[in-house]
Amino acid sequence: MFDFLTHDMLAIIWFFLWCVIWGVYFIVDSFSLGAGLLVPFIATDKAQRMQIQSSVGPFWGGNEVWLILAAGGTFAAFPLVFSKMFTFLYLPMMLLLIGLIARGISIEYLHKDENPQIQKILMWGWFAGSLLISLVLGVAFANFFKGLEIASGGVYIGTLIGLFSPYALIGGVLFVLMSVTSGALWINVKTEGAIAAKAGDLAKKSTLIVLVLALVYLAYSFMGIEGFTTNYSAMPALYLLPVLAVVTAVLAVFFAKKDKIFPAFCSNLLAFLFVVESGLASIYPYMLKSSVSSEYGIDIFEAASSHMTLSVMLGAALVFVPIIIIYQLWAYTLFREKIKETDHVEY
Amino acid sequence: MIELLLLSRLQFAITAAFHFIFVPLTLGLALLVAVMETMYYRNKDETWRKMADFWGNIFKINFAIGLVSGITLTFQLGTNWGAYAEFMGDVFGPPLAMEALFAFFLEGTFLGAWIFLGHNRQKLKAFSMWMVALGTNISSLWIITANGFMQHPVGYEMVADGSKVVMTDFIALITNGYVWYMLIHTLLAAYLLTSFVIMGICAYHFLKGNNNEVFKKSFSIAVIIALATAVMLPVLGHGYAQYVAALQPTKGAAMDAIWETGSSVPMYLIQVPDSSTGSNSIQLLGIPGLASFLYTGSFSGTITGLNQLPQGELPPVEMIFWSFRLMTILGSLFIIVALLGLYLQKSGKLYTSKKYLKLLIWSIPLPYITITAGWIVAEVGRQPWMVYGLLKTANGVSSVPTSDVLLSISLISTFYMVLLIFEVYLIKKTVVNATGVE
Repeated sequence: MFDFLTHDMLAIIWFFLWCVIWGVYFIVDSFSLGAGLLVPFIATDKAQRMQIQSSVGPFWGGNEVWLILAAGGTFAAFPLVFSKMFTFLYLPMMLLLIGLIARGISIEYLHKDENPQIQKILMWGWFAGSLLISLVLGVAFANFFKGLEIASGGVYIGTLIGLFSPYALIGGVLFVLMSVTSGALWINVKTEGAIAAKAGDLAKKSTLIVLVLALVYLAYSFMGIEGFTTNYSAMPALYLLPVLAVVTAVLAVFFAKKDKIFPAFCSNLLAFLFVVESGLASIYPYMLKSSVSSEYGIDIFEAASSHMTLSVMLGAALVFVPIIIIYQLWAYTLFREKIKETDHVEY
Repeated sequence: MIELLLLSRLQFAITAAFHFIFVPLTLGLALLVAVMETMYYRNKDETWRKMADFWGNIFKINFAIGLVSGITLTFQLGTNWGAYAEFMGDVFGPPLAMEALFAFFLEGTFLGAWIFLGHNRQKLKAFSMWMVALGTNISSLWIITANGFMQHPVGYEMVADGSKVVMTDFIALITNGYVWYMLIHTLLAAYLLTSFVIMGICAYHFLKGNNNEVFKKSFSIAVIIALATAVMLPVLGHGYAQYVAALQPTKGAAMDAIWETGSSVPMYLIQVPDSSTGSNSIQLLGIPGLASFLYTGSFSGTITGLNQLPQGELPPVEMIFWSFRLMTILGSLFIIVALLGLYLQKSGKLYTSKKYLKLLIWSIPLPYITITAGWIVAEVGRQPWMVYGLLKTANGVSSVPTSDVLLSISLISTFYMVLLIFEVYLIKKTVVNATGVE
């Protein structure tokens, strides 16, 4: 299969697909994560909590699978990167894992028991899980863009503390706030009543903060991160990505202000997507960039699977990803009505 | 290094065993709830709706924890078994990614739809549950395809420097005989477990005097599934064991503690293996040539004994031997329990047979134990190999600080313990209250 493509071409296609899958994950999960980040602060009673729960309930599971696909896709297409990424970042990955478990269980079990104490614990579990996921991924991706401390022979010399540079922290906070904004706009789109109004007000402020932070993050990336501009200089068309990130972040502020919530929601998602892709575009051909010396980084050609594996996976992805997107979009149309405080779902 | 290896193995064993507490019930209930939803859609009988709701609630609680605990396993292949991931990625990665593409998206997307769709959209609701059932069952196909390669590598080639394997034949990978034996065995075991859980829960309600249609009907379905699967498992299991013995002589020999290579090997009814001496400390009541017959199909067939193995390649024989015994003994017991249930039901004595109903409740954990024992035979049986004949377990482990593994193992175990207690509490509550079932 795909014999007309060379191994290098397949590796490049897979890098592109890898960037797409991560991008899709970040935007689709951003509103489920954001809802979790907001729930303890904006829901005043059980009814409002249930509105938020119902707004993401049908979707969060399907959204999270994009993350599993990103991990599985890395394993299949770039096993070396999969192995190194998880081994180097052992403890952050465990934190991410705990976050994923806490989030999933909390959403599903939130109202399975009438005990208000248990509900409270689960609500905070939902929050803590969502925070861990978005923060760890934000910090991790900033480190990917900055480069990990990989020394000669692929030996990792970084420490846990070393991962929390100012740049990585801004990345972490940006990912959290992008998710918060996404969640606030989503709650406003999907619900009616007091909670919708509160979320809408919050989104007006947070879109602005996101814009400022995104500008800082991108400026830091382009001016303060070594090697970030190499690909951009070689291929100036790539500048479109950060430009679009800023434009869509501005649009999110603009639409939120005008109470055009759905366009604001879409703009915020796109801003998130373009921020992530701006960073990913900078690391090519590396998947794990080295901050010690570029020659120690792990590039896609070295990490790629065999021609056969890459082409089998490409065939499967080309057939199934469109089908998945179609039925996931269909699921969104299935639950398009706004959720009222009086609605009661047996969850 | 030994410590790191031991801790990594322990962590994987704990997380895999924990995950597999939830998987079999999910596999079985998904199909049954889909059938119930469909029956309700077709004949609008309220009993079917109540059944779908009641078992569906138990399914939901169970599914959530199965889903999140599954991610742990994928993560650990990178964090704790990085060297394995590098060695095997080319072959092991694709089934894992396929599992996400073909199965997880179906499960994730349609589970949300099924939960949130009201009974006024019955056709869609039933359809969604079928998609979930399809997803969960397809998922097991892919994960067993990956595991099947570790048991019996096919369709691969070792690269010149021996550092990794690459796939040469994808079709061979998915038509691997081992996969199909293991898949059918695993699925049947899952359905058996589901039927015993259902019978146990029904028994609890019969004892309380809740002889309503929901539990009566559920019991009638479950007892048939229980009997069918309990009979099929040993029949197919025998074929599976013979196949395994031919492919992995070590595992085969360990299952029956056969130490010396020979022909016309007898099978002993009472036997206690002792790996420190490389023999059985007790062996009584031998039936001549039976072991040879069971393994090779001929009473004079030759079986390779464990003492033939090079130094250091002996798997933990006692563990495999006793797990295999436990699995087969409990497996036989299931046939008797199911037959008795069918008889009591047909003769109308079921609801008053207090002893039998109590037996059913106490039987709920047994399939779980049996399945775990079965996995121990399969997974411990391939030791010291991680990928049979290709990669030793000791060479698959990540080089991470032991303290990190110690930290993560304590964190995850504690977390899992809390989850397990909470899940049991929720299921118990759902069962006892049986809301909506009158």
